[in-house]
Amino acid sequence: MTDAPFIEIEELYFSRGDHEIFRGVNMTIPRGKVTAIMGPSGTGKTTLLKLIGGQLTPESGRILIDGQDVHQLSRKALFTLRKRMGMLFQSGALFSDLDVFENVAFPLRVHTNLPDTMVRDLVLLKLQAVGLRGARHLTPAELSGGMARRVALARAVALDPELILYDEPFVGQDPISMGVLVQLIKRLNQALQLTSVVVSHDIKETLSIADYLYLIADGQVVAHGTPQTLDTNQDPRVSQFIHGEPDGPVPFHYPAEAFYRDILGEAPVK
Amino acid sequence: MEALGRAGVFLFQSVVGVPSREGWRLWLHQMHFVGVLSLAIVLVSGLFIGMVLALQGYTILVDFGAEQALGQMVALSLLRELAPVVAALLFAGRAGSALTAEIGLMKATEQLTSMEMIGVDPLRRVVAPRLWAGFVSLPILTVGFSVVGIWGGYLVGVEWLGVFEGSYWSNMQANVAFISDIGNGMIKSAVFALVVTWIAVFQGYDLVPTSEGISRATTRTVVYSSLAVLGLDFVLTAIMFGGL
Repeated sequence: MTDAPFIEIEELYFSRGDHEIFRGVNMTIPRGKVTAIMGPSGTGKTTLLKLIGGQLTPESGRILIDGQDVHQLSRKALFTLRKRMGMLFQSGALFSDLDVFENVAFPLRVHTNLPDTMVRDLVLLKLQAVGLRGARHLTPAELSGGMARRVALARAVALDPELILYDEPFVGQDPISMGVLVQLIKRLNQALQLTSVVVSHDIKETLSIADYLYLIADGQVVAHGTPQTLDTNQDPRVSQFIHGEPDGPVPFHYPAEAFYRDILGEAPVK
Repeated sequence: MEALGRAGVFLFQSVVGVPSREGWRLWLHQMHFVGVLSLAIVLVSGLFIGMVLALQGYTILVDFGAEQALGQMVALSLLRELAPVVAALLFAGRAGSALTAEIGLMKATEQLTSMEMIGVDPLRRVVAPRLWAGFVSLPILTVGFSVVGIWGGYLVGVEWLGVFEGSYWSNMQANVAFISDIGNGMIKSAVFALVVTWIAVFQGYDLVPTSEGISRATTRTVVYSSLAVLGLDFVLTAIMFGGL
């Protein structure tokens, strides 16, 4: 296996309307490792995954996946590249007209010519891994949010992709499922030498499985390194986020005019 | 103009390429959804419109002693105008709005995005089968509309009002031309089918993925389709029968 990074992000700029999401982001995602991307809400972590997947196009800069510039590929080549990726969506994004079994079988049916018996075995293996083999006949409408995300994970790994993008994999999971998922992501990565990118707010769980970590805020990478180096980082923005402190340079409130002016419509009475 | 450009690229990317075996299966499934399930409303409407045509036509023709031309009048009205136009309007309301809402909901729940990330092009898998199913099924529904409408005209004109049965059918046979009447009606229907289905799937694919966005897009599908059908009908009629 080559040591070249699997994903390289160079001078990435992206805006939505007048709102700048990224201002010159640079990242290197190592091959065969779990890389976590963290940051406060609204910093564009999910947007970054969509840019990596080629669903959004940056204003400038480029994203290379295994040496291929994602946004210079033809539509056909982009879809070919995506066969090597899996993505776990925050909402699960299961196909509502298919049951759990067929959702997981979908990538196998469209991209392989495997016989039905083998598809069945592979689907049941994936569902067993996420603890939902018994739920194979349920429809997405019958699943809880956490269960839907576990089925989506089984679907994302159905083709054993080289790269998996996880968008908030731990949200809505009960403690047991959370522990299993953390182990599953780690085990998948080690056993199959996958490259994993995890976007998450759950610091404890993410730090426990990440080999490398990027912290983004204000449209830029504010810190990166191993979990150990970030844990001891003295930058107040990093420290506030990693330790979950309410006071610090990262504001809790979305930018707004002064509270008293909003409520009273005038300057405060002395 | 920008939306029209996007819609043009969207149409090209959806229809270009050879359908796979799976594509045929999906197309058949959509033929049932947009075609077979529209059959009841189209046929019932066709029956009543044929009956009304015969009733109204009879009251006018009988004043001139020309009620034997009733079959010709009913058939020409249906084949040239009413069947293609009314079937297309009904199709836009029944199938077009459903297509927009279905694709829109798939977009809002990220199903289209997840399909893309699995390496499956939603334009080929979701849009193309629906587009082709609409294009094929509406002309077939239009034929059904005309046939049932002519039968409805027969029930009222011959069975109820007492027009001579031989006149009803023979005048129709003598005065309806296959190419200029039936053929032109089918060309109209094919054009309407393409336009209505194109509007429906594009509105679903291009909408703002919120509940309000789905509602607005569904309304736009019916309004745009209806206006397009009526406007195009005038243009096509002027070309086909107006000597343009």
